[in-house]
Amino acid sequence: MFRIDRDRSRFREIVRGRLRQDLRRYLSTSELLGRRGEHAVSIPVPQIELPRFHFGENKKGGVGQGSGDKGDPVSGEPKEGDGAGAAGEHEGQHILEVEVELEELAEMLGRELELPDIQPRGDKQLESEGGRFTGIRSAGPKSLRHFRRTFKNALRRTIAAGEWDPAEPRVVPVADDERFRMQKSCPLPDSSAVIFHVMDVSGSMGREQKDIVRIKAFWIDTWLRSQYKNLEVVYIVHDAVAKVVDQDSFFHLRESGGTKISSAYELVLQLILDKYRPEDWNIYPFHYSDGDNWSARDTERCVHLLRDEILPRVNQFCYGQVKSAYGSGQFKKDLDQALEGQERLVTCAINDRDGIPEAIRSFLGKGR
Amino acid sequence: MALSATLPPHLREEAQRIEGVARGFGLDFFPVVFEMLDAKDVNAIAAYGGFPVRYPSWRFGMDFERLEKGRTFGLSKIYELVINNDPTYAYLVRTNSDMEQKLVMAHVFGHADFFRNNMWFQPTERNMLDQMANHGTRLRRLVDEHGQDKLDVFLDRCLSLDNLVDPFLPLAEHLQRKKQPLESRTLVERARAQLDAFLAPPRGAVPGTPGAAPAAAPTGAMRPARTLPTYDVLGFLLERAPLEPWQREVLRVVRSEAYYFMPQRMTKIMNEGWASFWHSRILTSGVLGADEIVDFADCHSGATAAAGGQLNPYKLGIELFRCAEERGYDLLRLRRAHNDASFIDELVDESFAAKNQLFVYGRNARTGRTEVLDRDWREIKEKLLQDLSWGGLPQIELVEDDHEGRGELLLIHRHDGRDLQLAHAGETLKNLARLWQRPVHLLTLEEGQGRKLTCDGHAIRSSDASVPGEKKSEAS
Repeated sequence: MFRIDRDRSRFREIVRGRLRQDLRRYLSTSELLGRRGEHAVSIPVPQIELPRFHFGENKKGGVGQGSGDKGDPVSGEPKEGDGAGAAGEHEGQHILEVEVELEELAEMLGRELELPDIQPRGDKQLESEGGRFTGIRSAGPKSLRHFRRTFKNALRRTIAAGEWDPAEPRVVPVADDERFRMQKSCPLPDSSAVIFHVMDVSGSMGREQKDIVRIKAFWIDTWLRSQYKNLEVVYIVHDAVAKVVDQDSFFHLRESGGTKISSAYELVLQLILDKYRPEDWNIYPFHYSDGDNWSARDTERCVHLLRDEILPRVNQFCYGQVKSAYGSGQFKKDLDQALEGQERLVTCAINDRDGIPEAIRSFLGKGR
Repeated sequence: MALSATLPPHLREEAQRIEGVARGFGLDFFPVVFEMLDAKDVNAIAAYGGFPVRYPSWRFGMDFERLEKGRTFGLSKIYELVINNDPTYAYLVRTNSDMEQKLVMAHVFGHADFFRNNMWFQPTERNMLDQMANHGTRLRRLVDEHGQDKLDVFLDRCLSLDNLVDPFLPLAEHLQRKKQPLESRTLVERARAQLDAFLAPPRGAVPGTPGAAPAAAPTGAMRPARTLPTYDVLGFLLERAPLEPWQREVLRVVRSEAYYFMPQRMTKIMNEGWASFWHSRILTSGVLGADEIVDFADCHSGATAAAGGQLNPYKLGIELFRCAEERGYDLLRLRRAHNDASFIDELVDESFAAKNQLFVYGRNARTGRTEVLDRDWREIKEKLLQDLSWGGLPQIELVEDDHEGRGELLLIHRHDGRDLQLAHAGETLKNLARLWQRPVHLLTLEEGQGRKLTCDGHAIRSSDASVPGEKKSEAS
């Protein structure tokens, strides 16, 4: 039905407008998490209600039907407005879910935080839909005729028909023999990216800290997904040792014990060397911690790993330090001091949820 | 639009058979046209309030979104849609089983009879399908002239006020017109009445401007109120508010549709009860085969269940008609003469309330639960009548158009024990003030205390006031 589709898309436009207005709020709450599908996020919006004169809450009540004595609770408490005849007046309280494409959400995010598009790294091109004439088909323009294939077909047909005369090796192609070149697109792996979400799950990272990480990770994924066609996400948790986990455990795992950050960096490096080679991948490690490391020596080792091994291989390395009651916050200071001037390193401190948008901006704002 | 979806032959036969049975019982309706559509298309039509040709608005898109979500997740399902028109159109959902289609068709004949015969529907436009199409064309043209955004803003503003109408006005005028026989009028009067009914030139529009073009519906022939006090606030605004011609046109459309839908609001219980009563009677009079009865009973009891202690208009309605039949009423007369409130006033008594296990509920402030408060039938009846009177809407009357000599509007909420939702009332006033382009005031009660809301189109002020009502603060 043509008309309703127009009205529906108009409604969705209005919803998007609201979403844009409220994006800051979504940026610092976990409301949208867990609502993400493959290509879209379903966002709950209150139905947009036109104000009208109607009755309020006081003396609200009505007539019901069923068993029960005076003072008994009404089973399945009546919905408001379901007093006889009044139904339909309170539709505004329903919540509707509207799907928004990830692409679009990323665009809103980009606009809200004024994020630049990611610039090609080195001489690599991000757009890789290369069109080359590598295919063959049986129809096409003369200019694309593949002579060798056409001749071969004609020859084969001639021999099969018993008309082949070695003394007079004349082959005349007919329409059926003709073959033409065809453009075939072959995606190059250039536009692939990998994100490493690395999180400190030592005892001092509490629920709130993890929530912050979770929200950040969601938005970062959303943004990078809009920039790269092929995005892989690797989740790593560490305390004194690091391991790769799935998404679910990444967010829910609670370990305790000491913190050896170098363990995680070593793992990242290992993965880069084994699987995500910088020639083929755009690499984005994000590390979140509360800033407590096991020892100064380990921190030294981290600095060394970053400077000599990791930073040269990645697009950008982001360290986000989430404030916690127990963390000292020393690690960020150490990194900043030791690696001053390293362009590919971004560090940032996140005090609370309100700091999330700012942190996202500092991570993604360089367009790297 | 792909709307020509005629019934398959076997259902067409069934429709004829059911129509015959219905007529045999004395039901009397305009021709009924059944169309069979996919569930999605039925939802689209439902979102347009039954009229696929209606004007464009994002609100219909929102309703559609909601209906579609309900359908795709299997939460809700529309069986049928029927619209008050001559001929009466009914839309069936293709995926219904044959038994369900028969049930729905019998149900539709019940509604169709009710539309045609109930007194409150007499003044309604019977050519509403065309009328709505006209409204749609006009509003689409205005979109072209003024842009969708501008039109949306104004349309939303008007719609926000669309329950400021007088539910009794159309019938009163209808009876008035009937009382005055044509012959007694002068030739000019007669000609004008006919022309009015046809064209209804916009009042207050300057001749020669686009808005003065022949426009409104025959329902618009209903005279906008010229004297205060009035409940027909929309009519008053249509005539008196300083609007541009195109704005007046939008307001006229909104008002005419509001009056068209009002009787359905006032007779929901009766209308559904009547249709359910008859689908049950018709189908069990030999229309259904023995193999269909159990499925029918299942479906019927689902529609008329009083689940969770809630009042179901289908259930209450059908019980009222059954009770009336037992008591020897003439059912056809009842369905002609009543609306929900008067119908309940006529029939609900101690035995009815007891038999149907009716009760009054309310929120217990101490426990925060909704509880059964009372089973006394007088209380029940009073509460029902209160809920149903005035179409279930707050009664708000416009009493002054020159409040304190400043050209401001004064409205009074005729308080009946139920407070207004004040935040929404404030926002609604804002829209009213923007239409009137002068400040507006509303007197109401909040928890027994008089309250005056004032709005100049931007800010809303609330101040204590003497208790409105009992004619005290009315216009002198």
